[in-house]
Order: sequence, then C-alpha cells, then structure tokens
Amino acid sequence: MLLSTTHLRIGRCIRVALTNFHILPPARYCRDPFMSSRSADSAVVDLLRKLNRNVEIVSKKIDKLIEVERSSTGHFGRPTVDVPEGLPLDVTTLLSLPDHLRKSAIALSSLGEATATDLSKETARVRAVESDYLNQLVSMGLIKKKRKGRDVYFYIET
Amino acid sequence: MLLLAKTLAFHSYKGGTGKTSLVVNLGALYAKQGSNVCVLDYDFRAPSLNVLFKAKPEHWLNDYLEGNCSIIDTLVDESAKFNLRGKLWVGFSNPSLEALKNVMGKDRRWEVKALSRTLAGKKQIIEEKKVDYLIFDTSPGAQYSSINALAGADIVSLVMKADEFDLEGTKELSKGVYEALGRKSGVVLNKIPLEQIAAGGGAEKFGKTIEAEVGLPLVGMIPCMCELMAMGGKTIYTLEKPDHTFARSIARISETLRNM
Repeated sequence: MLLSTTHLRIGRCIRVALTNFHILPPARYCRDPFMSSRSADSAVVDLLRKLNRNVEIVSKKIDKLIEVERSSTGHFGRPTVDVPEGLPLDVTTLLSLPDHLRKSAIALSSLGEATATDLSKETARVRAVESDYLNQLVSMGLIKKKRKGRDVYFYIET
Repeated sequence: MLLLAKTLAFHSYKGGTGKTSLVVNLGALYAKQGSNVCVLDYDFRAPSLNVLFKAKPEHWLNDYLEGNCSIIDTLVDESAKFNLRGKLWVGFSNPSLEALKNVMGKDRRWEVKALSRTLAGKKQIIEEKKVDYLIFDTSPGAQYSSINALAGADIVSLVMKADEFDLEGTKELSKGVYEALGRKSGVVLNKIPLEQIAAGGGAEKFGKTIEAEVGLPLVGMIPCMCELMAMGGKTIYTLEKPDHTFARSIARISETLRNM
C-alpha cells in the first residue's frame, strides 16, 4: 500500500522519538543495512496500523462484555429477574435467581415466615449476610417483610 | 434428625424411563435393611404408586397441597404388608380424572403455595416420622411439581435411557434446572440393551462416555430386561426376588446414593 508523505513524516517523528528514548536503535545501526530511513518510517507506520487494528478489536470485545454485564445486572449491579405480576416466587422464578438469593428464597419457602436469624440457621450463613440477601429479595418484590414487636419477619405472600 | 435424613428425587426428561419401579424398589430395599423410608408420588399427571401398593388412602398428596390436610395424614404405612425391619410410608397422588384435570388447571399463584408446602411437608415428615430417606417420584420433564420436588432434594437422580432423545433432553435439564438448583446430581442409566453396552466398549467405558456427554456422575446402570416390562406394577424385586439382576442393580445404586 502506498503511504502518503504525511504518513511517512508521522512515522519518522515516531521513529526519532523512539530512538531518542533508546527504544529503537538509530537507523544507521539497524541490522538491515539496506533499510533506508524512509523504509524504517513506513515500517513504524505499518506497526502503528497493526496496533490500531488490535486496539479496535479489543475495544469491541470490551463493549460486548459491558453489554452482557448490563443485561444480567440491573442498576447498582443487582441481578435482575423477570418478575411476573402478583405472586412471583414459584420455582421458575427461583431458577432465575443467583445462587445466593435462591438459597435464601428456598429456605424461606420452607419456613413460611421467619426472621433473618431463623433463616441464617437454615442457610448456615452469618445473620448480617442473610439479612442483606433477604432485603435484596424484598427490593426485587419477591418476598415481603413486616415488623412484629422488635423483630422483622420475612415472608412469601400467597 | 433433619441433618441425618437424606432426600432423594428421581426425575427424567422423558417418560417411561423406569423411575417409579426404581423408586419403589429402592425405598423398599432401604426399609428392608432397617431404615425408615417415606416415598412420595409427586407424579400428579400420571400417578402409579397406588397401582403397585393397591392403595386407597384417606387423603391424597393433592389434598395436602390444596391445604386440606397435613402431609402426615396422607402417609400410609406399608411396612407390615412386607414384613420390613424399617418403616415404609407412602404418600399417593390422586389418579382420578377429576384430580388430573384439576392439576392441569393450576396457575403460578397456586404453584408458589405448592412449592412452600412441598418444602414444609418434607421437613415435617423427616422430623415427625424420623425418616432416614425421603424419596420423591416425579413427573418427567419440566413440570412444576417435579421441580418443586427437586428443589427440596439433597440428591437428584436422573433416570434415562441412552438414546439421543434422552441424551439431548437430559443435557438441557442438567444445564437449565439441576445446575441452577445446585443439587448433587447423578445419572441412572436404565433399560440399556446389552448390545448397546457392548458396542460402547463395555459397561465401564460406556458409562464414562455417558458421564462425559451429560456432565453428571453415573449413579448406576441397569440393563434392559423384558420380563420387567411385563411385571411392572406387580412385583417389588428387592423384596420378592432379591437375587434378580434388577434387584442387585438397585442394591448397588442404593449404596452409591447412601455414600453420596
């Protein structure tokens, strides 16, 4: 491919910069004694073009990863679940939950109505962690909570 | 007791893989060996345990899921009939046409309750009856009642024949359901023609091929036996013919599941 004078000038500037920073040897010390400075400049431009193509490929892959991540997590990185109207926590919804939330939901399904402490005994998790997961389920609209005296009870509305 | 009891669920992608025979023979064997066992017929679309046990219970599992009785009310003690060392309780589902039509009409709201009652019922049976093994027989495919049972199980055994229909379907279920539920799972190959085992390089190699295809460990392999097809629903081999090939296969499976 023919390179324009501008391309060659850019290539020469980059070659000079790389040489001054001892990244490239001076052209006269190149292994290939027949490589003129003009060839060296175009080689640098070729290299830059290749680098640019690779950066574009990596950039597209990153965009794709971001898209996948966004579609599987909602705002604030919370997992989204396709929640039907009314009473959603049947087994098909359970299957769509992330593992940690599914464990809490199954434990609550088994107990009916329970505090975070009760559920932490079922799931063998620390109470504070269990409480956080249960509140995530509440914010997703899959379970509800109510206060009875000083205790907060989580339950599935049926 | 809840920690010591094991809940097993037997499921399949397609029907006719032999789940019910397997469940009954396995449950009976455990009870014969001295364990307390409860078997629940969760195949609400094609109930069949009532045929084998010739049962006419006062309450069906359907009644329990409707909230009309306790799950303990649905259990029939079959131990004395077979002179077993341990206990064998069986919960039956209603085979009447009316009940089948009723099951087909259930909505998601009802299924939420059904899941909750399944999990609560399992807990109650284990605590009150002090069972060592609770075994669910389920409907094939992705049915609500089946997946409810799987959600309550410690170990899920997929019963399959080794044909392409079963292989592909089981792989899908494995990815979409069993993995998602995070239960220990394994495969029971049933009704396998001896020619297929031989063509697969022998039992061990054939088993490993299926394990690799399905991505689940092999719990057991049972060859195809024509006489079983004729005797289905009539004979509990582990009790009546313990030296039969089928009974010995079940015995090996029982050990594998005990140790899982």
